[in-house]
Amino acid sequence: MKFIYADSLDFVDPRYDFLADRSPTDREPQWDDEYPHEILGYAPYSGLLVSHAIVMRGKYTLPQAMRFRLVGAREFLRFTEKKFPGTWVIGDSGAFSYHRDTEPPISVEDMTEFYGEAGFTHGCSVDHVIFEFDESVVGMAGGTEESRRRFEITIENARRFLASTKSLGPGFTPMGVVQGWSPDSMGCAAQKLEAMGYTYLALGGMAPLKSDAIHRCLDAIRGQIKPSTRIHVLGFAKADNIFEFQRHNITSFDTTSPLLRAFKDQKSNYYLPAGDEKLKYFTAIRIPQALENLTLGRLVKSGRITQEELLALEREALDTLRRFDRGQADIEGTLDAVTRYSEVLLMSPHADDASASEKKLFDIRSRYRQTLESKPWKDCRCAICREISIEVIIFRSSNRNKRRGIHNLHVFYNHVKGLEKADTYDEQASLFCS
Amino acid sequence: MTNKLVFSAVRAAQSPQHVVFSFAATAAEVFAMGRIERAGRGDGGTLRGFQRPQIASHILEIRDYLEREDAVLPNSVVLAFTDRVTVTQVKDSIVEVEVDVSDGPPGLIVDGQQRLSALAPLTDKSFQVFVSGIICQNEEELRRQFILINNTRPLPKELIYELLPGIASLPERMSSRSMASALTQRLNFDRNSTLYRQIRLHTNPEGVIASNAIQRVIMASRSHGALRVLAQSPDGDERCFGLVSDFYGAIQEVFKKDWVGLSPKTSRLVHSVGIISMGRVMEVAFHVCGARTFADFREVLKNISGQTHWTQGVWSFGNSDNVRKRAWNELQSVHPDIQLLSDHLDRLVRQTNRDRVLQEPTVDLVRKTATG
Repeated sequence: MKFIYADSLDFVDPRYDFLADRSPTDREPQWDDEYPHEILGYAPYSGLLVSHAIVMRGKYTLPQAMRFRLVGAREFLRFTEKKFPGTWVIGDSGAFSYHRDTEPPISVEDMTEFYGEAGFTHGCSVDHVIFEFDESVVGMAGGTEESRRRFEITIENARRFLASTKSLGPGFTPMGVVQGWSPDSMGCAAQKLEAMGYTYLALGGMAPLKSDAIHRCLDAIRGQIKPSTRIHVLGFAKADNIFEFQRHNITSFDTTSPLLRAFKDQKSNYYLPAGDEKLKYFTAIRIPQALENLTLGRLVKSGRITQEELLALEREALDTLRRFDRGQADIEGTLDAVTRYSEVLLMSPHADDASASEKKLFDIRSRYRQTLESKPWKDCRCAICREISIEVIIFRSSNRNKRRGIHNLHVFYNHVKGLEKADTYDEQASLFCS
Repeated sequence: MTNKLVFSAVRAAQSPQHVVFSFAATAAEVFAMGRIERAGRGDGGTLRGFQRPQIASHILEIRDYLEREDAVLPNSVVLAFTDRVTVTQVKDSIVEVEVDVSDGPPGLIVDGQQRLSALAPLTDKSFQVFVSGIICQNEEELRRQFILINNTRPLPKELIYELLPGIASLPERMSSRSMASALTQRLNFDRNSTLYRQIRLHTNPEGVIASNAIQRVIMASRSHGALRVLAQSPDGDERCFGLVSDFYGAIQEVFKKDWVGLSPKTSRLVHSVGIISMGRVMEVAFHVCGARTFADFREVLKNISGQTHWTQGVWSFGNSDNVRKRAWNELQSVHPDIQLLSDHLDRLVRQTNRDRVLQEPTVDLVRKTATG
């Protein structure tokens, strides 16, 4: 099973100075930065997925989008076939970005052109997301008029896409996207795509669904297509439970969750392997930047606290944590320093509101205690944890948060590899395994 | 802790109601005398203070500068007092200023808080700044001074950009603009330039083409395109100038009737939307068709010349099922329009120049730092 990472310019500055908290002044964004496959010293995924929406209407600047199309995806991402043999670069249209539009804003021909110019190895047809999901209906029953209209657009686009991508030659593998409002309608879509000539299907719209529902969809689809037809699951949000999905004969899936959870999840920010096909999680310690954090900025504007007081609390929290890492501070003192700053974060900007909720603070303190007692960053041998030690567990600005995310990619990739047979285990990756 | 700080100062004869003087002090001394009162609400919602919060990025820029050996900070910070300060005349305009700091800082910092914040943690604490002091009759007067002092007009961006190239070691965010500005000025004032006297600058108000548009083309190309490639060579500056000049020169020859004597109102080619979008054409011509010279660009552009609508007609953007039609004068210099037109021109150039690859396309752009 191939784990594909959905990229959205997730790089970090290798020269970032953690003590001064800044990049060198001559840093050139993207050029001087490193993607996960650069900073770890190996690719923690079998391929990258890049959506047209993120390049043309998303995170890329105009000059970056321009260069992406001129020099190609691999060159831009520095993920060349030569350096990373056997890897893939999959494209999709980014249907979630235009789910509100009546029609997809990009034509089949534009999409083919984009894949061709940027040299993708695989590309998805132009789909239109169906949000309705009804497990109870059988066959092609059910489905609102809108869902059926989107179903037809997706199928028709896939038909034209297959013809259109013939011009890209045998180096490109077209993937037909499955959309439906029920397991059976997805099965039907899959069967139609296979009949057109697709040998690789991409299952869309799974992100909001619960595990049970995804299982049912995969069962319905597998029931309609040949065992040799490959399946990719787009935007697989249940990535941590990937082992439950092995029985469906999934060829590949993409997800961003190991990276995003490093800074978007309330509790589970740092991954480690737990054995028994499982992962364990730790909470990162929040020390936001006193002068840049928006919540803190609101407190200052309303006059609840001064920036000088914030700076002192921030400094104390950071210094104590670093001393703790060197064995020069005890756990209680460290927790005190950290939670004094957390207390401010929980303050309301209105002076007459009650102060930070005792219970919330208690929860935070106990989660931080678990993190500090375990010192998980000391157990990890990935290039990031070895290099920056405790900084990786500090929840603070992009260079720490994304590094933690990249560490998670390392753990997750090896987790997925570990689920497979020992003889397919990635030799290179295992060198970095704890 | 001392209870009093004493300075020799110069007093200026100004309004008879105010005492105004100036002296030199270290950042630590200034913080002992004056505090930053940021605007906020106290109990019961009453307004107090007046300063805005510190701006981290601004402070960092000042600090980077102040860390240099040759740093100077000639403009003074302004401290206002209402009490606990005595001014004694020594001789003519020379006075002695005595500030009572036994009960905390009596003054307020009304101008220069970002400079002082930048200075505060620097190890060389002996660096002095000029302090201008003013004694106000009451808090209200003090607030008025704050507003008057801070209500200045920033310089026009156009002029700042034009001044940038003459100044070394600026904050990094300005230095890419500085490079673009230098090249833009040369394109405008070098007689060998095809854009000679055509770019509107603060010092060339009769120019037609917006300098910001040309600068955007240059900055994009310098960060991710052809100029980045050329800049690596020893005569990089010369080649960068040559490329942009040749490219816009070729445009003027191929699209003569859409350029000569026209303004952004009468032709979208000299409008920012056209200038910026054609920047993309320069990149495609350079990278995909291998164009390097005036003649190369002219050949590439000739192939699209019948298919543009700079001064009349209607553009059809997109292909087949998703055609969007836009009248020539509906295009504005906004992100979506620039992208629409750039994508369209990009496609036109690739389609009409399929068979002509003049040189091996250059894709090998160099990364500056190798890290291991």
